[in-house]
Amino acid sequence: MEKKRILEEGLLEQYLSGELSPELHRIVEEALHQNSEVREHFDLLEADFERMGMEQAVVPPAQIKKALVKSLEKKSMVRIDRTPLWIAASIAILFGIATLWMFTKWQNAAGNLKVLQEQTAELQERMYTIENNYLQTSLQLRNINNANVVPLVLYGNQKSPNAKVVAYMDHKRKAVIVNPQGLPVLPTTKTYQMWSDVDGEMIDMGILSPDEELVTLKYIDKAESLNITIEPAGGNDHPTVEELISFVLL
Amino acid sequence: MKTDFGDIQLINRLSEGDKSALYQLYDKYSGALYGVILRMCRNKTDAQDLLQETFVKIWLKIDSYDASKGRFYTWAYRIARNTTLNSLRNRSELIQNEDLSVYDTKAEIKTGQENVLLKGSLKKLEPHHQKAIALVYYRGYTHKEAHEVMGVPLGTFKSYIRQALIQLRKSYANEMLWLWCIFEIMV
Repeated sequence: MEKKRILEEGLLEQYLSGELSPELHRIVEEALHQNSEVREHFDLLEADFERMGMEQAVVPPAQIKKALVKSLEKKSMVRIDRTPLWIAASIAILFGIATLWMFTKWQNAAGNLKVLQEQTAELQERMYTIENNYLQTSLQLRNINNANVVPLVLYGNQKSPNAKVVAYMDHKRKAVIVNPQGLPVLPTTKTYQMWSDVDGEMIDMGILSPDEELVTLKYIDKAESLNITIEPAGGNDHPTVEELISFVLL
Repeated sequence: MKTDFGDIQLINRLSEGDKSALYQLYDKYSGALYGVILRMCRNKTDAQDLLQETFVKIWLKIDSYDASKGRFYTWAYRIARNTTLNSLRNRSELIQNEDLSVYDTKAEIKTGQENVLLKGSLKKLEPHHQKAIALVYYRGYTHKEAHEVMGVPLGTFKSYIRQALIQLRKSYANEMLWLWCIFEIMV
């Protein structure tokens, strides 16, 4: 079918001058490759075509060849072998993709590293706080858990029957540590204050807040008793005796 | 395809970068290609530049030539034809038609333009066969454009081309016969 079409439609004559469409060009080339009759026909056609070309030749001036030689020699015109260029281009593209991939990974890693650094800093801060708390707790424990410490329990009187405070007296170190958590919560305008009774004179030891676990107060020499009163917020210079809620003799 | 063995050797050397092989191919084919280019562009200076450009392209593109697909001359002819057509398209002499593919050869030869007449066996063909061959192979027309120039249907034009080539073949065969006879007489 293609053979008939190629020969009858004069496609070989058009193929000769290179004017066929890419599709027809492909069809003719396939026929030339596969069909001996078409190929023989084309061989004859080409031979005639070349002979016609030689017959119609016009001798070009000699300077054209000289100019051609000059242009090829002087410019060192080198044919470009595309294969290495394609290889180089492919490598460059791969390198580019790899670089982009690595850059993305690096960006992700940098982001992760930043998050990790932030988390590490937060953990360090928390650890520092916990360590401080631990040291403080250990110190308090050491302060109240030794043979020189005398624990004293102060129960509330009828003014504050639910009150219960533990005071740890260390006469050797001259220190007083109080656990005020057993005190009922007061209005914000009031506060608890502790006093030592020395020869009938009440000496201020400090303020107690039920929010705190252990409070270190001033140790007063020769105290005969410990007393807790309710005072205006901020404390008082002298105890309000009417507001005495608890005491213990030493 | 029946590419000349000597040509194949030259082409192999050319593929390896041997410039002297190009110069030998130039010696063999430059006349035929110059004849095509000069008849197409009708200007000696331009034709000479285009001939040089054609051989530079042959030098650069020789790796794309496949001897199994056709003769070297056919391949080189196409390069010369396309190089010339491209050049003509880029010049003001070009009168673009709808598909921008051809310059107007219907116009009369202008002053200063070369008009290289066909010669040899082509001159012995009937005028309409001569014109058909000239338009397609020496003016750069496609078959579709050329049949309009000649004012005949495309099928008729194609038969002109076929008949013309058959006539040429007969003419060449006769020439060969005469040459053989002369040779025999001389021997």
